[in-house]
Amino acid sequence: MRMNRRQFLKAGGALLAAGALPVSVVEASFGRARPENFTFAYISDSHITHLKGSEFVRNWDRGLIRAISECNLLTPRPDFILYGGDLAQLGMPEEIDHALDLMGGLRGKVHYVMGEHDYYLDLGDHWRKRLGPDHYSFDHKGVHFVVLNSILTYDPWTHGPWDTPMARMKAMARLDNPKGSPFMVGAAQRQWLRQDLDRVNRRTPVVVVSHSPLQRIFKGWNFWTEDAEEIQALLKRFKKATVLYGHVHQIQYNQIGNISFHAVMATAWPWPYPSSYAQAESHLPKLTIEMNRADPFFERDATGWQLINLHTGKVDMHYLLPENRNRSVVFDHRLKRPIDQRYRSGADRIPPQIHF
Amino acid sequence: MKTRLSAIAPAGLTLTLVVLILGGADELRCDEFTREDLVRWQQEYISVVNRGDVLFHGGLGNHNTVSCDQCHPNAANTHPETYPKFQQQLGKVVALGEMINWCIMNPLESGPLALDDPDLIALQAYILHERRGVGLAAGRH
Amino acid sequence: MGVRWSPPAGVMFVGLVASSLAPLAAPLGLPPVPIPADNPQTPAKIALGEALFNDPRFSADGQVSCATCHDPAKAFTDNLPVSKGFRDMTGTRNAPTVINSAYLRTLFWDGREPDLEGQSKQPPVNPVEGGLADHQTILRIMRNDPAYVKAIREVFQVEPAAVTLKHFAQAVASFQRTLVAGDSPFDRYFYGGDKTAMSQSAIRGLAVFTGQGRCVSCHVIEQTQALFTDNRFHNIGVGFKHIRGKEEEIAARFLAAKKSGADVDVTVLTDPDASELGRFAVTENLTQVGSFKTPTLRNIDLTAPYMHDGSLQTLEDVVEFYDHGGRLDLDDPLSGFLSGGIRPLGLSDEQEADLIAFLKSLTSPNVAGTPSSALASQ
Repeated sequence: MRMNRRQFLKAGGALLAAGALPVSVVEASFGRARPENFTFAYISDSHITHLKGSEFVRNWDRGLIRAISECNLLTPRPDFILYGGDLAQLGMPEEIDHALDLMGGLRGKVHYVMGEHDYYLDLGDHWRKRLGPDHYSFDHKGVHFVVLNSILTYDPWTHGPWDTPMARMKAMARLDNPKGSPFMVGAAQRQWLRQDLDRVNRRTPVVVVSHSPLQRIFKGWNFWTEDAEEIQALLKRFKKATVLYGHVHQIQYNQIGNISFHAVMATAWPWPYPSSYAQAESHLPKLTIEMNRADPFFERDATGWQLINLHTGKVDMHYLLPENRNRSVVFDHRLKRPIDQRYRSGADRIPPQIHF
Repeated sequence: MKTRLSAIAPAGLTLTLVVLILGGADELRCDEFTREDLVRWQQEYISVVNRGDVLFHGGLGNHNTVSCDQCHPNAANTHPETYPKFQQQLGKVVALGEMINWCIMNPLESGPLALDDPDLIALQAYILHERRGVGLAAGRH
Repeated sequence: MGVRWSPPAGVMFVGLVASSLAPLAAPLGLPPVPIPADNPQTPAKIALGEALFNDPRFSADGQVSCATCHDPAKAFTDNLPVSKGFRDMTGTRNAPTVINSAYLRTLFWDGREPDLEGQSKQPPVNPVEGGLADHQTILRIMRNDPAYVKAIREVFQVEPAAVTLKHFAQAVASFQRTLVAGDSPFDRYFYGGDKTAMSQSAIRGLAVFTGQGRCVSCHVIEQTQALFTDNRFHNIGVGFKHIRGKEEEIAARFLAAKKSGADVDVTVLTDPDASELGRFAVTENLTQVGSFKTPTLRNIDLTAPYMHDGSLQTLEDVVEFYDHGGRLDLDDPLSGFLSGGIRPLGLSDEQEADLIAFLKSLTSPNVAGTPSSALASQ
């Protein structure tokens, strides 16, 4: 069977020229301001690591540079870019500053989200000095965006006492730390969120952006937010609610009631799915069709960045993966949940999925 | 005297029997071991697992500070039960230790360990301990 | 056969052809050649394909045949940085060897053809290669030259009026599938068990190749065979310095041209900037900017200069380029689109020399060509 040449020329990978993005023909009315279709980019989890002097871990630097180089090629430009947390690895000012230097090469306005690797050395001091408040909201073309700092934890753990701030940072940096502490948004921010959302019409699309999943997926690796249910309850009244999160370094997506959840990739390195740890149970959303195992030779395998199309107020997430086939997880209005456009479960699996 | 003898005899017989059964209570034969042995040997093993745990979580001292657990939290996704297998990155069939060395040389940008290096044994012990209970599947990609 | 094939070059590699005609026998170190079900090999088809391959009449000035850029005397390359076609016009890309192309899953540096049958149809009608406006000249000659008429009747059982470009493509592909070469000193050492077949330096070089050199992941060696290619596309940084700072503009201009009907084959071979887009020109995938197909390393000593633009003259330059993590000089910029497999290697001078000795051990016997070291001194 030979494809005709036209088909073959396009068959190599997912077509993702910005000019060919789908624009939904279904346009509902969303309350006061009618949102226009728009796109934004999402880069996350660069984990820039300082070694000494002006030397940083080359691998993570290259990951961020790659995402920025590709994102700059998008024409037309995305409306803005979100950065999903963990600029630094150990929260050092050198790391945050070097990451922001690299981010300076990105064309477009960036909104930043706090990650635990940015926070636990100095409790966010340097990050906030460079970037402002760690939780805030903004409106864009009729959509309400909320950015949360969802990587806080219980006060006794945070305040220790610790031998040094770096000891606390390293304890939180270690993903599988048996003496870790679960992430949370916390009462103060939940109160702020309640007040912020009070003035938002229930038909306005809401997108909540955080670092941790705002779900309880796998406690052992802090794929977890302790007060997930309380946050979800605050979003319950909105017709179109979406949560976007980083931290997990892998493709995940879910639908809980009216809320769609999407994870974004890291630019630095991938993490395995919790089910690959034989000694514990995980609750990865059943909807998620997992990625294949990465080839560690290719430093960018299972890393990437995202382009998000927000048509009709729900998220279509296009993953741009340098060493893998690009994937698209889009909201299906008939099924009322996100589905992967190409990768399916069960009998519908396609050949690239049969690698584990 | 006669009475004493008869009094002694049953005790002597008992003593003989006791000596026969216990066979010298201090002496173990080659195929035998005690409960204390088992506990102690398990501790020996766990001490090496723990050493491997430390090395796995940043204890290798490599210059670029990348640690195994960054890609393999709890040694997940290492699939030790599939070795030996054809390892694409090495172009040949290898055992687990050789692939660990590949990771040390490549993502960790450091020098390989000798295959009988106690640290390499310790890493393997930790990795397999975190994967205990999973059936063998040698050769599976 | 009683008919004369025009070019004498056809005689030079009869030895190679004859030795490879043994049914389904693969050379040492290589698997059986994949043959598509709809184009089985026959001796007559192969001979026809060889004649077509060497026929310069299939060009606008009657001077350019496939063998012009894929010269049997030069390991089926032209030993030029980029090829010269019709009226000595230059393209943008280096001519890959045809030897062992039967094992490739896509053809051309950017993989824009899925098979050999597709590939051979393009160069005759490219303005800087064959220069023909269309394939009519080829069909006219195939339908009228008595030698072709007779051969086509025998091979395909069709009369001249029914001859199509497909017959051309199938015959040429059939010939190309006989151009397989293994049994190099490396193969005899690694698969043949002859521990004296490679020098000590080359043996050390094999260890570098599979170890610190990080070559084997893309230039594949396996337990029982070695294709020396993974058939995938990677950006290793070649050519980046020519488009640095212009990537966005070039990509946008290319996509606009493609959307309004520009032919990708023509664009990438005539526009040096567009050529640097690599696989992106075919897939429009932002993550494949500047990616090119991994070529085989077999006979690499004979196929200088190297890379898609022929910019690396010698194997020493190639090894240096990789050792520096994707640039020849340390002053050159590093591409932001660099494959995750490319990074500085930290090789010593001895390791580099050993690696080159190993690469030179990949030359098969009976392949005509000039070693790269001799070319470099010209």
